[in-house]
Amino acid sequence: MSAERSKVTLVVDGVEVTADDGAMLVDAAKEGDVEIPVFCYEPKLGGPVGACRMCLVEIEGIPKLQTACSTPVRDGMVVYTRTDRVIESQSAVVEFLLVNHPLDCPVCDKGGECPLQDIAMGWGPGRSRMTEPKRHFRKPMPLSPLVRIDRERCILCYRCVRFSQDVAEDEQLQLLERGASSHVGTFDDHPYIAPFHGNIIELCPVGALTAEAYRFRARPWDIEDSGSVCTLCPSQCNVMFTVRDEHVQRVLARDNDDVDAGWLCDKGRFGFQMITSEERIVEPRVGGSRAGWEAALDAVAERLRSAGERTAAIVGGQTSNEEGYLIQRLLRGALGSANITSVDELEAGLARRLAAPELGAAVPDLDAAESILVVGTDPLNSIPILDLRIRRAIRQGRARLVVASERPTALDGGAEETARYAPGDAAGFLAALAAELGNRRQAGAGTPGRAADEVPGDGSDWAEGARRIAGELRPGKTVIVYGERLGRGPGGDSALASLLECARALDLATAGAGVIGVPEGANGRGLREVGCLPGAGPGFAEAPAGRGLDRIKQGLLDGELDAVVLVHADPIRNLPDGPGWAEALRRARTVIAVSAFDDASTETADIVFPAESYAEKEGTVTHPDGRLQRLRPAVPHPGNVHPIWQVLAELGARLGHETGIGSVPEAVATIAAEVPFYAGITPEEIGGRGVRWQERPAASAVAELAAVPPEQRTSRTNLDRDDSGTLTADRLRLGTYPALWADEITDRNVALRFLAPAQTVELAPSDGERLGLASGDEVEVRSNGTGVRARVALNERMRPGAVFLIEATAAENANALPAELNVEVIKP
Amino acid sequence: MNEEFPYLKDAEEVVTVQRGPEPGGAKGAYRAFGETLRGLRTTMARLIEGPMTIQYPEEKTPVYPRFRGRHKLHRFEDTGLEKCVGCSLCAAACPADCIRVVAAENDPDDRVSPGERYAAVYEINLARCIFCGYCEVACPFDAITMGHEYELADYNRGDLIFTKEMLLAEPVERTPLRREGE
Repeated sequence: MSAERSKVTLVVDGVEVTADDGAMLVDAAKEGDVEIPVFCYEPKLGGPVGACRMCLVEIEGIPKLQTACSTPVRDGMVVYTRTDRVIESQSAVVEFLLVNHPLDCPVCDKGGECPLQDIAMGWGPGRSRMTEPKRHFRKPMPLSPLVRIDRERCILCYRCVRFSQDVAEDEQLQLLERGASSHVGTFDDHPYIAPFHGNIIELCPVGALTAEAYRFRARPWDIEDSGSVCTLCPSQCNVMFTVRDEHVQRVLARDNDDVDAGWLCDKGRFGFQMITSEERIVEPRVGGSRAGWEAALDAVAERLRSAGERTAAIVGGQTSNEEGYLIQRLLRGALGSANITSVDELEAGLARRLAAPELGAAVPDLDAAESILVVGTDPLNSIPILDLRIRRAIRQGRARLVVASERPTALDGGAEETARYAPGDAAGFLAALAAELGNRRQAGAGTPGRAADEVPGDGSDWAEGARRIAGELRPGKTVIVYGERLGRGPGGDSALASLLECARALDLATAGAGVIGVPEGANGRGLREVGCLPGAGPGFAEAPAGRGLDRIKQGLLDGELDAVVLVHADPIRNLPDGPGWAEALRRARTVIAVSAFDDASTETADIVFPAESYAEKEGTVTHPDGRLQRLRPAVPHPGNVHPIWQVLAELGARLGHETGIGSVPEAVATIAAEVPFYAGITPEEIGGRGVRWQERPAASAVAELAAVPPEQRTSRTNLDRDDSGTLTADRLRLGTYPALWADEITDRNVALRFLAPAQTVELAPSDGERLGLASGDEVEVRSNGTGVRARVALNERMRPGAVFLIEATAAENANALPAELNVEVIKP
Repeated sequence: MNEEFPYLKDAEEVVTVQRGPEPGGAKGAYRAFGETLRGLRTTMARLIEGPMTIQYPEEKTPVYPRFRGRHKLHRFEDTGLEKCVGCSLCAAACPADCIRVVAAENDPDDRVSPGERYAAVYEINLARCIFCGYCEVACPFDAITMGHEYELADYNRGDLIFTKEMLLAEPVERTPLRREGE
């Protein structure tokens, strides 16, 4: 990571080249415009392996040819890449690779963008001496429902196997057999099902691994590439859409080491089919029947005018900053209502303090951190690409990982310590952790502090966990990755306040350390910063207090609110207490929904506007680490879909509130003028790689935000429970979690549907034994008379007394249960 | 030193122009009429050959064997499968960008072509085609060749987009081939 690496000078093919000390020869040669062909070398996969032997070069003083991919440069090295010996070896390697390669390039999907084609053309012998029959395998075999493998084409470069073993660490792909029958596969031909396995398609230097969804769809010369950002989850990976005939055919990674390190999850890679789905809403609807834009806008304007300040808006995570800004302006400016919130609502003061620039860590800080604390989230489910990032940080041996969560996470295996608190007890645990860290800090400074055991309330087992966790954390060199869902529920504010205390005790307001909040919605952070927060306007400016999610629901139920605008939000499926939301939306006089698909919430809507997909949208979004990124339209809008920012601006105008925004750059300029820490930002500055606002001079504007005196910590007693910390098996406590594949994106993409999980109830084995349940049993989880049917999965890493259900599944949704902590698990 | 052009330093710079004969005399007469008479000889010779008019469209102009007319797609004679695998190389080679190929995967039980893929859509926009024959050169399976048909006029531009079925079909009437030495 250090920018100040010493330089060395070497000579490659007579060209003097200056390169970083320790760089590999193959990279250094590029500085002198010398290309050394490679197959297996891929820095994203970690260290070089020197397996393919394509990169052999001659180095003066070394008698044998050396692999350029694994030879570090030295000062004064003299390298030749085009001598007769090298050319002979290169021809021989290509000839060997082609001995059994079927050369079915016209049929192969990789044809035209194939490194093997390029290298055979550039460095190969040009003709074949082989007259013997080639080796044959059965092909193409499904490696998973999404990927097919053609083993005849494989050149055994190990890239996919290395990805599976070293990057995703799922260890499913293996090189099987030996000699001429070596091939890539899984144990016993089990399908390779893992959340990141689509990356092997992009890694493959030949056409051996092809995507089911892209097979034979297009040729490299038929397509156009269009760079944008995936907004299906908060990872906001940089992607490249492959567009043919105005349809997205494929999604590739657009390497950005500051965001995604060049990987994509399968949701991002294969979740594009919904863009061209037949089921999309492509026309405005009024009262269930199709309407023109004029009629729909008139109808909405009239209803909103009559509802006035009795209007509320819920903004979903797919919303861009511009759309979020305009909807809050519509409510605050045109209607005089302060009831605007996103699915990632936080108390305004906390949101302000958590956004403090010196406290925020950037994603690359994870690479250099000495310790990483993951708390209240499972990155694999909520921000998948960070899961790979954290694994890499541990693998490289610099970082020690500790995990504190209510449910076992995918990262537990690599963690030095894990602490498992009971569902809903995050506040208590974090208070204990903050006390323990404060204690250690003061002990370090020579003053005895408050011991964790002295935290008010019965925190005995929290204290033990907190002590273990705190012992691993390095002050000033820690990155905390926390789930913003910690802020949900009655103890939420207190949990996040404790988290801030932890950060202070660990001196995280330093470079290279800090916190990264994982929101629920893809653009959760951006939406808060542009003012989709009930208590704060754009840039966390003081604003009249409005209703948050719960009070919006209550207001609709009580008739205190007349209208609700749902922008890319489906509260019935995705928010706790779905039935309550369903009732609230039914009772609302007016429901206006902006949605790309029909869902439970649009069913209740009086007026539905068609939403753009992320490949059609123009605008900006903000990464959880504060990086503003640009969305650029890759394909045209289908049917009668209009940009949502335009619709919102037009609505504002009809309600007598002229915004003066006539284009996306104007919207960005308006936001930049209103949000002090975005000051002066332009789409050009954001560019293709994004820019973290914390690293711009305007960030000093927020120092004042951080200086807001810490509020009184909300009392923990409002948890209103008698069993905190000491769970007994006869009172099971329910927690819910968002599983990676349990959402509407999975349902709307045909290719991904097989991944949608059936509802599963996770229990500790001891609880299972006591209740007479085994994994696979059908049970009903009941609470307050409502039940959800689920299949039992015993998980020994679960905390006894806790049960977990998946949120937002298509059927038997855990959100259908009332917001009650104690549940029964009954065998029907 | 050049005597005629003393200001020129080097005699080699002087270019001497060769003039024709002066008008008048036998040479002058030949110069005036010689070529005209030669042309007239050719005209007279054709006059006695008789008319060469081809009664198009009742008769057709014969073409050379390598004439590049409308494209044809081919099938294997034994199996009847299409030779085209939808590789799209013709589209890549086409300088007029008039070929559109959309490939699809073969159903092993109901094959269209022998390989894994076949052309689900194969269209040539003959209004754009410049009949350069690059597609034929690019094709790795000899699936497309330039045919002999040249009667391509139509009333709509849209009708000039030839689909795969049209390109695979045998032409209704064969264009006559020009005989050797003709």
